[in-house]
Amino acid sequence: MSQPANAIQKKPISLKKTILRLLLYFVVLDVCIITLYPYFAMLCTALKSREEIFSGNSVLPVTVLWSNFIDIWSRAPMAKYMLNSIIIAGGSTIIAMLCGIPAAYALARMKFKGQTAFLGFVIVSQMFAPVVLLIGIYQVMQVLHLTDSILGLIFINAAFNQAFTIWLLRGTFIGISADMEQAATIDGCNRIQSMMKVLLPVAAPGIVTTLIFIFINAWNEYTVALCLISTDTLKPLTVGINTFNGYNIIEWQYLFAASIFAIIPVVILFMCIEKNLVSGLASGGVKG
Amino acid sequence: MSTKTPAAPAGQQVQQSSPRLPNPGSKKFFRTIEPYIWIAPSIILMAVFIVTPIAKVFQLSMNKVTRAGKLKGFNNFENFTSVIKDPAFSLVLKNTILWTVAVVVISTLLGFILALLLNNKFRGRKIARAIVVFPWATTLVIQASAWKFVINTDYGTLNALLKKLGIISASVNWTSTPTIWFIWEIACGIFVTVPFVCFCVLSGLQSIDTSYYEAATVDGADYFQKLFKITLPLVKSSLTVSTVLNIIYVFNSFPIIWTMTKGDPANSTDTLVTYLYKLAFYNGKQGEASAVSVIGFIILLMCASIYMIYTLRKGDEDL
Repeated sequence: MSQPANAIQKKPISLKKTILRLLLYFVVLDVCIITLYPYFAMLCTALKSREEIFSGNSVLPVTVLWSNFIDIWSRAPMAKYMLNSIIIAGGSTIIAMLCGIPAAYALARMKFKGQTAFLGFVIVSQMFAPVVLLIGIYQVMQVLHLTDSILGLIFINAAFNQAFTIWLLRGTFIGISADMEQAATIDGCNRIQSMMKVLLPVAAPGIVTTLIFIFINAWNEYTVALCLISTDTLKPLTVGINTFNGYNIIEWQYLFAASIFAIIPVVILFMCIEKNLVSGLASGGVKG
Repeated sequence: MSTKTPAAPAGQQVQQSSPRLPNPGSKKFFRTIEPYIWIAPSIILMAVFIVTPIAKVFQLSMNKVTRAGKLKGFNNFENFTSVIKDPAFSLVLKNTILWTVAVVVISTLLGFILALLLNNKFRGRKIARAIVVFPWATTLVIQASAWKFVINTDYGTLNALLKKLGIISASVNWTSTPTIWFIWEIACGIFVTVPFVCFCVLSGLQSIDTSYYEAATVDGADYFQKLFKITLPLVKSSLTVSTVLNIIYVFNSFPIIWTMTKGDPANSTDTLVTYLYKLAFYNGKQGEASAVSVIGFIILLMCASIYMIYTLRKGDEDL
């Protein structure tokens, strides 16, 4: 099925090729169906009534109940959760970028002692997931009085996304020739000016990719928020939707209606950056 | 894949660091310290929120710790011995290894095959790629809840669907034993990991020069020869990156297991991270929980060093 090889042969379409093609479509279609099935089930369930869900007879909703999507806003502080998620994800992105861009710039454009050590440290920091460090994080947050605070979550998310930020941005910056910045320097720009006016506009696609990727990571973060946040009105969506996931009864229709609100923005954002992200990961990671 | 060399820093800025420190205030001194100013924000951020917690965890693991988190002095590695002596721990360790190996190996295989398929040109390829990215973008808690619902015996849609299709007549209990729960969790883990592998491999595949395949075809190579002699060696670096990152992510993955079973019943579906979460925040044993964290680091560090040794040794022939 290697397309390039087949393409140059230019043979008339053989039976074997047709079968292979059909098989390809069949497998890809199956993969797509399996991938979408949980989302499909989620959507269907979000449109059912409680009784219908627990009768468990149908996949599709018999009576479509759009009101579930409205009810969730009054049954839990959904608007608050949503706002918290936006603030946390946005704030983490801003801080991660403010710290990450200069660091990536220094790694890509300057030579200094400890450069390799710093890059090594950045990569090793990936090994420590927040969940394994939760006890430590909790104690540090207590000292800083940042437990049960959105600001605390923002800092944690920004810090744990530094590796990716630096990794992706360094790859982007290295891929851009330094000639133009040098020209700008000769024209009298200082480093900051040449970076802001010359490098960053050229690197915009890579920067946007990184930005969105951090935003999604922070939006989807669950474990640290679960552990640090105890006040209901400070919870992000990922933790907040568990209001519907009670000890005795799970209100699936509300849980999934709320989940759909949590999924849609990130899936759309992700589709925008998917192509750039992958090549960015590869170029930032494998080389240099 | 073109090898990019780090761009030469803008001409005049490069200064050989002189043997003695230049005068503070001079331009030369500024140029020496300038890079450190640029990386300072990042270093401070990581120092406070990553390095300090790491240090804290190590400190806690060595000390007797009260329920309130107060340190009561070095206790001769008692936290470690009490964790290792706990019969649940060996079960948890076994689960963790099984979970990591199963998820990483199977999703790497499936992701690789899926990438080969999606690398073909066919109608609807863009849509297929967009759909495959779904699980990667969705938060794990929601994924896991959806799965938990679908496989529910009483009202799950898997039973409803199979009944509608006439495959089964009565509801099947898909989660009859803890082992089967664990297998479902692994399946969910694979489901969310495949897209990442797939897209890493795709990026590698797309950078392969098609002339290799043309030459191979002229030489009469069949599909599998091309796959093993051309494709595989050339996507190896992408595969390595995705595998190494996946080992770390899957090993440390918390939300899937937490949402589906919370590691119950009786630790039978616990991995190290859910086990340590319960130790620390349910049982108030912060010292022991930290010891579990440290054991986790050591295991990951061993994996990482194996990888490093392997790449360092192989490095010369590959590049």
